[in-house]
Amino acid sequence: MAGNLLELKDVSKAFGAHKVLDRISFGLSAGEIVGLLGPNGSGKSTALNVISGFLPSDGGEIRLEGDNITNVSAQRITGHGLVRTFQLPSMPHRMTVREVLQAGASGNASLASMLKPFRFDDELDELLESFRLTHVADLPASALSGGQKKLLSVATALRSKPKLLCLDEPTAGVHPNLRADMVTILKRYRDKGVAILVVEHDMLFIRELCSRCVVLDRGEIIADCAPRELEDNARVVEAYLGKAVEKGKVAL
Amino acid sequence: MFDFFIHVASIACLYGVLALSLNLQAGFTGLVNFGLIALFGCGTYGAALASGMGWHPLLGLPAGIAMAALLGLFYARLGRKLSSDYWGIATLSIAEIIRISITNEQALTGGAQGISGLPLLFAGLKPYDGMARLALYVVVLALVWLFCQRLVKSAFGLSMKLMREEPQLARSLGYDLDRIRRVVMLVSSAIAAFAGFLYAHYLTFVGPDQLVSPETFLIWSMVIIGGVANNRGVIAGAFLMQFAMAYVPFIKDALELPTDFVAAARLIIVGGGLLAFLLWRPKGLFPEKVGGSNGR
Amino acid sequence: MFQFIFDALIRSVDLALIAVALSAVYSLIKFPNVALVQYAVVGAFVAMSLHTAGLPLLLAGLLSAFFVGLLAVVFNILVFERLLKVDSAIALIGSLALSMILSAVFLLTYGPTAYRFKLEVTPAMRVLGARITDHQITTLIVTAISLGLFALILFRTSLGREMRATATNGVLAAATGIDTRRVTNVVVFLSGMLAALGGITLAMRGSVSIDLGTNMLLPVFAAAILGGLGNALGAVVGAIVIAAAETVVTNTNVGPLVGEDLYFLPASYAPVASFAILVIFLLFRPRGLFVSEVSRV
Repeated sequence: MAGNLLELKDVSKAFGAHKVLDRISFGLSAGEIVGLLGPNGSGKSTALNVISGFLPSDGGEIRLEGDNITNVSAQRITGHGLVRTFQLPSMPHRMTVREVLQAGASGNASLASMLKPFRFDDELDELLESFRLTHVADLPASALSGGQKKLLSVATALRSKPKLLCLDEPTAGVHPNLRADMVTILKRYRDKGVAILVVEHDMLFIRELCSRCVVLDRGEIIADCAPRELEDNARVVEAYLGKAVEKGKVAL
Repeated sequence: MFDFFIHVASIACLYGVLALSLNLQAGFTGLVNFGLIALFGCGTYGAALASGMGWHPLLGLPAGIAMAALLGLFYARLGRKLSSDYWGIATLSIAEIIRISITNEQALTGGAQGISGLPLLFAGLKPYDGMARLALYVVVLALVWLFCQRLVKSAFGLSMKLMREEPQLARSLGYDLDRIRRVVMLVSSAIAAFAGFLYAHYLTFVGPDQLVSPETFLIWSMVIIGGVANNRGVIAGAFLMQFAMAYVPFIKDALELPTDFVAAARLIIVGGGLLAFLLWRPKGLFPEKVGGSNGR
Repeated sequence: MFQFIFDALIRSVDLALIAVALSAVYSLIKFPNVALVQYAVVGAFVAMSLHTAGLPLLLAGLLSAFFVGLLAVVFNILVFERLLKVDSAIALIGSLALSMILSAVFLLTYGPTAYRFKLEVTPAMRVLGARITDHQITTLIVTAISLGLFALILFRTSLGREMRATATNGVLAAATGIDTRRVTNVVVFLSGMLAALGGITLAMRGSVSIDLGTNMLLPVFAAAILGGLGNALGAVVGAIVIAAAETVVTNTNVGPLVGEDLYFLPASYAPVASFAILVIFLLFRPRGLFVSEVSRV
């Protein structure tokens, strides 16, 4: 299943002798939202870290719109149009929410702009509104609740108009109302052509948002299909049943 | 007494410039630099170089800035892989290496005795030269302050602050942290060297004892006590500390204390002041203004 | 040749005790405590005062070491535990500030002059062609015993096991029921004692003055970082390397390099060797020579 935007081919990653990713291959196209699922320890966060340049890979190839981005460092990967968020978004104490959001699109300031006071972009107000952050816009970003910080990190990531947005467990800790808003916003960006890769546990969120799911188990891809087909996939059920039944989180 | 006041105010202005330099590095970008005084030293020895080579005194400034820029870039390079406390030790060590090398190299740098006989700035204006110099230093301080304010309120300033607290977030948004570090170091090194150049032409003497590590800690105390990441605050800190240090000998005389009191009191003012503020008021006398009205 | 080895050995022993103290305590408190070298000076001054007051040297030394150990714990509780809650860089600045305050106290109490222990000066012996004094032998013995005891505690007692567990993973150690705060303060106490002993042996063979601490700061650091901060016994190797480097730097005839028959770098250049090594290591191998348990750099 070759996507035309992001393509992974035989990507591997090992920590010492422990193989976390074993030659995984998948792709996604523009305007597609793909979920990256798997029980804990399956390697999904590692996959995200390798794709986004936060971890070097031990083999294989990653291409974004044809450009080889394998082992391109995290800070240069945004230049290719890839932005990611973090599972536990830590936010600055000494910058306001509005300033953090503004910083999302500043990029690397040219020398000429260094002595000009910055102005808040017009689109900030709209973004703050969509993510329900207007009322906290001028508070220090660290004062936000965990869920609000998640929203802020997604909003900030969207500022640089990425081609591919990689979200690491975006709904953990987020209020159900806000989660619904996030689905609406992400769908809106999808319709504009942004591709989104979501690492998630929340199946409801996945079902509402994703057109496709890639399931990892112990470093290997065991399924690559639409969310509703997951229940029929014996391997997926087995991978989750063995590990998630205590958690009661996954409802297939 | 008036002359003494002019003298202390002049020195305070120059230290204010140094405090602004450190504030850019440590206050706004989170670069814990313990080798700042060596950057200042590039400025003083740049002036000495011009004097020794028989150049026009003003050429000492670009010479000093060039040396400081190289040293600042070296500090930045070290910072790529080191966490802040290791980097602090690294910069402290380099500053000490430089100081010891200067002390030992008689031929090049005049060794421990240093180089004297530099031309005094505005000497021709006596007896008003002291006031003229103070006026110039105040103007310089104001200009450097304006420059620093501009820098921290720009988009680049936003990136400095983001790097300071959340470097991982900054990386994920595409910020080139090494570049930010280099630019901040270059700018602040030039500022520190400028202060050094002016200092050399005030004292008319340049020596390695001006570069001992307690000098760096004094500047740190100005930043922490005055107000981290608050430019007006660190200037206030500079004046406060300099005046406190300058009037210690008078207290010693008034209370008839032994000579050692002066050195000890200065250590306690700097060390005690630093520790007290770190424990009980780490944001300083004038805390950083988060947010504010810029950007609108 | 043997003189050279012996000089390097003595120099490394000067650094070793304090470097080990620094490294050991780093693994638990997670920041380099610069004030430790001043603790060494406290040890030297207190021991000297006690000795001058009439106590036998051994007793003076032990009491002083005990006192410094307690002092280290007091400072840890009052100052460093609080500063560490903010950031380790803040704790580092705090330790520099504390060093300044301690220097001021020495200055007020003892003045700027150098003091000597009132010890008999015995003629040096000749062993394998090298000059060795009584005091140097004592220093070697004290250091060996102290380090030996410390290693014993670290590797053969349950306390030592708790120390190593807390150093490797504090959270996990606490979860297994180890009182990490108590263990940390025990290590702080022991490192204070080691630092004091280091200061005393150094002062015994030379003199003690307020400069003792500042002059030692960077060589000690260089030794600790070389061995890997947190790797207490690696610091011993670090001390040996630094001492050897310093001795080599000042004892090698660099005449041919500068066009003369005989030219030795002055002794004041010795610190440059250690700082240069420190900087090189920080540039290329900040974790030190060995892989230490503490991997944060």
